[in-house]
Amino acid sequence: MAKFLGLDKLAKLVQIVKDNGGVKASLYKLYRFDDLRTGKLVGVDKYGNKYYENPTFFFGRSRWVEYADYYGMDYDGSQIPAEWFGWMHYKTDLPPMEDPSRPKYKWMLDHVENLSGTPEQYVPYSTTPSKIKAWVPPKRT
Amino acid sequence: MKMASVIVRCSNLAKSSGGIIVPINSLHKQNYCNKPPPPGTPPPQTKTTFGKLSDEDRVFTNLYGRHEWRLKGALKRGDWYKTKEILCKGPDWIINEVKTSGLRGRGGAGFPSGMKWSFMNKPGDGRPKYLVVNADEGEPGTCKDREIMRHDPHKLVEGCLIAGRAIGAKAAYIYIRGEFYNEASNLQVAIAEAYQAGFLGRNACCSGYDFDVFVQRGAGAYICGEETALIESIEGKQGKPRLKPPFPADVGVFGCPTTVNNVETIAVSPTICRRGGAWFASFGRTRNSGTKLFNISGHVNNPCTVEEEMSVPMKELIEKHAGGIIGGWDNLLGVIPGGSSTPVIPKSVCEKAIMDFDGLVAVQTSLGTAALIVMNKQTDIIKAIARLSTFYKHESCGQCTPCREGVDWMNKIMWRFVEGKGKPEEIDMLWELSKEIEGHTICALADGAAWPVQGLIRHFRPEIEARMNKYKEDKIDVKVERC
Amino acid sequence: MYLMLRTTVGRTLGRYQWGQKQLALLRGTSTTVPKPEKIEVFIDDKPVYVEPGTTILQAAALIGIEIPRFCYHERLAVAGNCRMCLVEVEKSPKPVASCAMPVMKGWRIKTNSDMTRKAREGVMEFLLVNHPLDCPICDQGGECDLQDQSMVFGSDKSRFTDIEFSGKRAVEDKNLGPLIKTVMTRCIHCTRCIRFASEVAGIDDLGTTGRGNEMQIGTYVDKFFLSEVSGNVIDLCPVGALTSKPYAFTARPWETRRINSIDVSDAVGSNIVVCARTGDVMRILPRTNEEVNEEWLSDKARFSYDGLKCQRLVSPMLRDCSGELKMVDWEAALLAVADKLGNAGPKVCGIAGSLADAESMVLLKDLVNVLGSELLFTEKSFPLTGSGTDLRTNYLFNNGIAKVEEADVILLVGTNPRLEAPLINTRIRKAFVHNDAQIAVLGPCLDLNYTYEYLGDDPSVLRCILDASHQFHKTLMCAMKPLIIVGSDTLNRRDAAGIITVLQTIANKKKNVTDWKVFNVLHKTASQVAALDIGYKPGIECLKPEMKNVKVLYLLGADEGSFHRKEFPDDTFIIYQGHHGDYGATMADVVLPGAAYTEKQATYVNTEGRTQETIMAVSPPGLAREDWKIIRALSEIVGYRLPYDTLDEVRNRLQEIAPHLTRYNNLEQNSFSGEAAQLAQESDVPLVDAPLCVSQTALEDFYMTDVISRASSTMAKCVAAMQKQRQSRY
Repeated sequence: MAKFLGLDKLAKLVQIVKDNGGVKASLYKLYRFDDLRTGKLVGVDKYGNKYYENPTFFFGRSRWVEYADYYGMDYDGSQIPAEWFGWMHYKTDLPPMEDPSRPKYKWMLDHVENLSGTPEQYVPYSTTPSKIKAWVPPKRT
Repeated sequence: MKMASVIVRCSNLAKSSGGIIVPINSLHKQNYCNKPPPPGTPPPQTKTTFGKLSDEDRVFTNLYGRHEWRLKGALKRGDWYKTKEILCKGPDWIINEVKTSGLRGRGGAGFPSGMKWSFMNKPGDGRPKYLVVNADEGEPGTCKDREIMRHDPHKLVEGCLIAGRAIGAKAAYIYIRGEFYNEASNLQVAIAEAYQAGFLGRNACCSGYDFDVFVQRGAGAYICGEETALIESIEGKQGKPRLKPPFPADVGVFGCPTTVNNVETIAVSPTICRRGGAWFASFGRTRNSGTKLFNISGHVNNPCTVEEEMSVPMKELIEKHAGGIIGGWDNLLGVIPGGSSTPVIPKSVCEKAIMDFDGLVAVQTSLGTAALIVMNKQTDIIKAIARLSTFYKHESCGQCTPCREGVDWMNKIMWRFVEGKGKPEEIDMLWELSKEIEGHTICALADGAAWPVQGLIRHFRPEIEARMNKYKEDKIDVKVERC
Repeated sequence: MYLMLRTTVGRTLGRYQWGQKQLALLRGTSTTVPKPEKIEVFIDDKPVYVEPGTTILQAAALIGIEIPRFCYHERLAVAGNCRMCLVEVEKSPKPVASCAMPVMKGWRIKTNSDMTRKAREGVMEFLLVNHPLDCPICDQGGECDLQDQSMVFGSDKSRFTDIEFSGKRAVEDKNLGPLIKTVMTRCIHCTRCIRFASEVAGIDDLGTTGRGNEMQIGTYVDKFFLSEVSGNVIDLCPVGALTSKPYAFTARPWETRRINSIDVSDAVGSNIVVCARTGDVMRILPRTNEEVNEEWLSDKARFSYDGLKCQRLVSPMLRDCSGELKMVDWEAALLAVADKLGNAGPKVCGIAGSLADAESMVLLKDLVNVLGSELLFTEKSFPLTGSGTDLRTNYLFNNGIAKVEEADVILLVGTNPRLEAPLINTRIRKAFVHNDAQIAVLGPCLDLNYTYEYLGDDPSVLRCILDASHQFHKTLMCAMKPLIIVGSDTLNRRDAAGIITVLQTIANKKKNVTDWKVFNVLHKTASQVAALDIGYKPGIECLKPEMKNVKVLYLLGADEGSFHRKEFPDDTFIIYQGHHGDYGATMADVVLPGAAYTEKQATYVNTEGRTQETIMAVSPPGLAREDWKIIRALSEIVGYRLPYDTLDEVRNRLQEIAPHLTRYNNLEQNSFSGEAAQLAQESDVPLVDAPLCVSQTALEDFYMTDVISRASSTMAKCVAAMQKQRQSRY
């Protein structure tokens, strides 16, 4: 009966809201990610992104990430570090901390997100001289 | 302008029809009408055979330098005799006498000298007039002017005075070829003697006429024998022909009216004035009158310069004066009859050729400077003509495109033909090239460069083809051997 | 709309008049002998009546038949050596060179007969025998006479079989200096360059050496071909033997847009074509205008275009608290300027420099005027005594540039026309060569390309000429068409008024020829005449008493160094508006980037008073804007909005001030020379003893005179080459 009336859905909603830390937090998450769901917290990377898994969703949608809060609305896929990338894309079922085949070397660089379109983006220097050479005012001494 | 057009027309006629100034028909008509011919018309020729010039009719009596060339000897030979009387008869008389003599320019083009001088007699505009004597005798084969200048210079100096009087010139410039060192010295001495004797300078020959003669030495460029290039050279510029019109008779040396004449033309004029135009006209055929210095060089037993009557048959000239061909008349291959720029004629033509302006035009060549270059059958005629091409290539001034580029090109082809490297079609191409060069330039050097080649192709084409075949066969043989 | 119609009609009329004059000047010199009867000739069976002495080629041109030619050039002597123009004349056995042969009555000329075509084909073949096949890498490609004519008149097949045996002729290249690149193998020996050098440029440096096929064009000895008009041989060369060195391998003629414009490097106002590609000026060529520059162009005008790409002001700049100029945006710059201008009120002063256009000068004048100030000056001086700049006849080259070549006596007072206005100098040389003009120089002893009588450098000689105690007085009085040309360096003198008074009095004595004006002023800068027309006061001298009161100084491209920052109070706020960072920008507190003459549509008036306009060929670089727009925008922020929103509205304002400023290409007649002389007489300024001098004496001084040419590395190379040449033995 309750199922017929969809009350179980309501219960589920209540559970999801509860899992996500209350109404206010849930609305905020909904606003940030256009999505609200609950799952098992698999891990947190060093940048603060949280990785969840809920096998009740079908394959392909069962793993997701909640970007760290400080990203605000400026999050994108390149902020997921390489070690979590494989787990997120179902290349492996082992989260990085449980995977024994992941050596750590000193020379490994930190993950850097894609900076295209930002002021810090990489621009190669030009090899063509500019058509106009601008005047550089002489320094006052 | 009008004057220029007259010259254009006349010179064109002279080129195309071999110098017929008055059409033959009109001459006949005048005779039928029993009207006396206008003054200055040469008397009609009655003789039919020419040659065998007698010694008393020679103009150049010291041609071989056997006598004294200085003033003393010249006076003995009759130079400067009654020059004053000639001068005092006035320009009209002199020009008329020269016209009567039928004297045609001895430099190659054969323009009637009397007419040339009469161009100068139009009312002046205050500019002085000049006589320029072309002693830049550079044509290969030609050596007549140098004989005059080194052995009979007073004939030339006196001629300058008389011609100068005829055209009203203030002075004469004798432009002498740079290589003629001794000739220039002799000439200079002769002029100095004439000055000292009072024949030149102020009140020349006591005739009341002031006349100066200057000698200008060239630097040995063939092109400076062209009259406008010569004028440029006298002015101190590069010897490059000027555009005509304006003709030298309008704007000549230093911008003044000028007549340019060959040494021989000038040197015979005193004798013509002394002995009368009719005497001179009694030699040679009508319109080709007078005596002429012939240079015979090449494969003859006795190469020489000789004064002979015009219209003498070529065979007689060679046999009589040059002692015949080396190896006999039958060993003759061909003759270049008028200096290197005229087309070569083969033996068959030489037998009938008559040595005068019209006679040689009739056999598609030209009298030029009357310098015969005789070649016998031992000559490599292709190589000979190729060498002439090289000469013209070297002497081209480089102004006009056809001459600058075309003569060089022709020269390249000619030397290939000497070896036989070429195809028979290229002979036609060479002919066409020479036709494209001829008549398309400012001066006549390009024509002179084209004509020998044309003569070669006209008469000796089989030889060129034979050589090409031989070259091809040799090459095949070499190939076969290699195999 | 009305305005546009007016300009179009005006321009069309101007062009029409120009066409008529061009025909009259076709023969090089215009003579006044009564016209002889015309003669009739037939060209391709078309009858044409021509004057006696006309050549076949000219007669054919009259009925629109173009005869191919290489060596012939209508402004040079006839050489007749290329033989390309051979045509058949009926009854002539040989084809004749049509460039040199005068027509005779009744001649029948065939320009397209078999003989003519055969001759052309032959000549073309000979030209190509030794011409290299490097058209794909030749800079002349696309505008090459040889290329074009071989397409039209050449043979359709080659028979250069000799290439298999011997190659083409190769000639070593000559080093003619930093402007002219030579590839002598391409030379077809037309000798146009030689004739130009000796006839127009007046230096006999070029000539031929060698004979026949080895003939070469060159300088005889190893030296540069340095002349103020040397670049013209590039245009004259019918093939790629002489090409432009700075332009080498940069563009093809078919890729460039060609924009008709006006040169501003001197006061002649030469007509130019700006060739631009993708927003870049690739080169500058002369444009034929018989009344101004014929078809020549000075080297500075032709080659200084690379200065347009150097030292440019591309963004507004503001001096920050540390005293350095820093790039800012327009808003900040305009607000800063408006703030100062608004506070300064009548203590604003404007100075227009040598390249300022009439539009921006008018707007600056209006702006300064609405702020209550009358302090508007030009950098070049002119005496204000007498009628001063109120009568145009006082400060113009009254007689016109084209008529210089008719003169028979020319007196040059304190001027070096060869360097100050090379294309007026070519006219003087033309008068000298074709007209036997007698030329006298008062001033320093100059290296001019004609012989002249030297009268010394003492200005008091003028008084002697005036009171007939000097022998030149007689020469001048006997002359039919005398000219007195006074240079702008003389106008800067203290006694300029006295000199001008004397000269005008002398000139006034000679008034027997109608339409002939004896007194002429030769300016140096493109802006001066327009500035005086608009009402700027000439010279910084007039500003001197007011200098201490100036609060805001507005420099409109003032870079000549005629004043110093120190002459103004320390707190004077200096605004520089212009296109190059030079003298003015260095001292400025605010820099407003303007447009150079190739980047704006603007009006200039040349020294003879001819109004001409430049057309925008490329857009101004970076944030730079057209000058009048900057002032217009500024006026709105200051609070006195000038009522001009479009260029047409600005030009309406120009017309209000002086109607001739919008009559483009028109030479306005001015005829108050007598009155001017009388007015001048009332203020008798004594002549000073100091010798007359000019600032440009040697060719080195010619190349770098304004901000554009000072920024040009080509011009710097010219100066270096000139100095190197001085050290050379030749």
